[in-house]
Amino acid sequence: MIESIKLFINQITAPQISFTAIILLFFFIFPPSEGLYKFHKKIGLHKLWTNAGGKFMMGALFLFFCFGIMDENFRLIVTKADNVPIVGLLFLVVFFLWFALKQGYDNDKRIEEGKGPIEAEDAKEKVLVWPDLVYIELIAIVGCSILLLVWAMGLAAPLEAPANPTVSPNPSKAPWYFLGLQEMLVYFDPWIAGVLFPAIIKLGFMAIPFIDNNPKGAGYYTFNERKMAISIFLFLWLVLWIFLISTGTFLRGPNWNFFGPFEYWDTHKLEALTNINLSELVYMIWLGQALPDNILIREMWGFLLIGAYFVITPALLTVTIFKKVFQRLGPVRYSVFIVLLLLACSLPIKMYLRWAFNIKYLVAIPEFFFNI
Amino acid sequence: MSNHDPNKETLFQKMQKTQVFRAIFRTGGAIDTHKKRVLVTLNNVFLHLHPVRLPKHAVKVKYTWCMGGLSFFVFLVLTITGILLMFYYRPTVEYAYGDVTDLSEQVPLGIMREIHRWAAHLMVITVWLHMFRVFMTGSYKPPREFNWIVGVILLILTMLMSFTGYLLPWDQLAIWAITVGANMAAATPVIGTAGPGASLLAIGDVNFVHGTADAKFAMLGGRFVGEAALIRFYVLHCIGLPFVMMLFMIVHFWRVRKDGGISGPT
Amino acid sequence: MSSNPNNQTTLDQPVERRSFIKWATIGWAAFIGVVGGYASILIRYLFPNVLFEPKQSFRAGKPDEYVIGEVSERFKDLHGVWIVRETDKIYALATVCTHLGCTPTWMPGEAKFKCPCHGSGFYKNGINFEGPAPRPLERYLIGFNDSGEIVIDKTKKFQYEKGEWDDPQSFIAA
Repeated sequence: MIESIKLFINQITAPQISFTAIILLFFFIFPPSEGLYKFHKKIGLHKLWTNAGGKFMMGALFLFFCFGIMDENFRLIVTKADNVPIVGLLFLVVFFLWFALKQGYDNDKRIEEGKGPIEAEDAKEKVLVWPDLVYIELIAIVGCSILLLVWAMGLAAPLEAPANPTVSPNPSKAPWYFLGLQEMLVYFDPWIAGVLFPAIIKLGFMAIPFIDNNPKGAGYYTFNERKMAISIFLFLWLVLWIFLISTGTFLRGPNWNFFGPFEYWDTHKLEALTNINLSELVYMIWLGQALPDNILIREMWGFLLIGAYFVITPALLTVTIFKKVFQRLGPVRYSVFIVLLLLACSLPIKMYLRWAFNIKYLVAIPEFFFNI
Repeated sequence: MSNHDPNKETLFQKMQKTQVFRAIFRTGGAIDTHKKRVLVTLNNVFLHLHPVRLPKHAVKVKYTWCMGGLSFFVFLVLTITGILLMFYYRPTVEYAYGDVTDLSEQVPLGIMREIHRWAAHLMVITVWLHMFRVFMTGSYKPPREFNWIVGVILLILTMLMSFTGYLLPWDQLAIWAITVGANMAAATPVIGTAGPGASLLAIGDVNFVHGTADAKFAMLGGRFVGEAALIRFYVLHCIGLPFVMMLFMIVHFWRVRKDGGISGPT
Repeated sequence: MSSNPNNQTTLDQPVERRSFIKWATIGWAAFIGVVGGYASILIRYLFPNVLFEPKQSFRAGKPDEYVIGEVSERFKDLHGVWIVRETDKIYALATVCTHLGCTPTWMPGEAKFKCPCHGSGFYKNGINFEGPAPRPLERYLIGFNDSGEIVIDKTKKFQYEKGEWDDPQSFIAA
């Protein structure tokens, strides 16, 4: 019984399944539009952000770890010193997600009743920094230092064998907060995953205040008043960041193969990963001929596809689901927004291309280190 | 002490009247009036980071989560433990690893490195959660756009601090994480040898971007992760990045006040 | 932000347009020049004139010390080179994954090099076939010295995708 549960979990945690499930569920849990929001309330998913929902989520997470810790392989991964912070992070993220949305939903209800957010009520009263804020700061500092001391005494900092430039440990992992990037590196060339995307992520984050021109929801928790902004942000932060970090930390084993949480890390696990480039797929498999010598003709299809993605998709989106968004943002904001959104979506798209068609590169010009 | 005379001053009260005490504590010892509570914030350079009065929602933990303040506190912990670690650590390929093992085996209370490392992880987490809170309360909206940008820069700097520190123990974990990171730098378009467009910066046969002149080399001071990389990362970790970070923190805190204090409903 | 209402008119009065443009141009040009100059000095400072790194060429014994069809890991730890002998030639593969520079593991059972960092796989001849590596492993310059020993020079690389593996310096016939 227990073994079959473990086997089941091993199978559904495979990125193909878990990632798909998360993407499908995500927009019902964090609905970006009015229609989805109504549906979300109808099926009762908003109850996640009540006290009972919070207890349920934290309890489920806790039970999962309790159940998992009894398994030898799971224990090995989770208790590895550098992974402990990520276990803590998972609990913290779930808690604070609930904490923010609970207050948001409570405020939404108050706003619906015409009472305004709870913060506005509190804000009417003024308090002095000394002692009202100072003592909170003191408690926070004391609590934080106790946590750090206990953590430092209980868990030794990791130190592996002395550096040896000729032997890579298997698996070799980046620091945990970069594991999202390392996961991207499986699907993209280093110049995209390691340079272009990080740069765009940073610039994109800096652009948030200038793209989001919704005047509502400044200075209090709310969900309903800024559904779309929160939904998109959480998609980037929870799915493309925290989820990929957890995958990279817990589920990537030797040779960067995927391993379920209860699976033994077998160095010789074989996974068919024979990937092909789009040009090879088009010319050699579909057309049954050799690759053309001219690089541009060879990679024409990839360029066309990418061009279409960045020209036709925005055009289609603008006249369909993003009609209102376009009106609200205006042309300049909207262009920046749509480019960033398409870039962000290119990660899951590339993941699915890899899983479904074993596509390695859409454009592959290794002669000039230019692969997309 | 048992036969207490109400007219007789206690030792504490006497002490407060001395010239030395009044020179140090301008507000006086007992902060027993409303006015003194205001003055203590105004008179103290550290408390002066805060305004004197706040709307009540702004001190509630359920609104602020304390994450910004804790990030700053953990930064201070990291500064102090970092300085203490520098007493024993020598950034050379020969000594680094041994010094790190000595830190836990030969140094009394050998948990300084543990505090430093876990505090570093904790800081990444608190900074992320701070950003999450700021997003969820819409606190980046006008007039606080610029401070959000400064915050993103501080987040990047936090991760860079952590990344440069990762190399210093000079173990397998360290050099391979940095090797991978450095090779990403080599893949930078135009200025990295293994990046697209590296051959663009060339006149005739002379290539300006090559193994000893590209982004990766500038980062490592060599063609691979070795002695030069260790010292570069050490200096950046201990002085370079904290210095830049402090500049941005000053701007960040200043703008919090200048933009009207912590966000709140209008 | 509040200023004296008597002063406001003079403060808000625009400076004379011609001289403002002139001085702004000079000022900015000088500023950019100085900052640019400092920046270029700083960037040059990052690249030392002399590199203290280990010697890049080494002797690797006689050809008959290598078995046909096998991958020799003899110089992997010391010099980062695999020496592969095929029926008609010997070549030196760099032990550096072309993805992000980790050291792949030679797996004799599966006859492939497998990179532990991101799962790239290479055939025995260095051609990539799985995972994210964008191109085959690089080969080093290989030749004989006067006493008939193999000499490998790591300063010169040969890349398959540039068609350099046909270069007579990239292998030795044996």
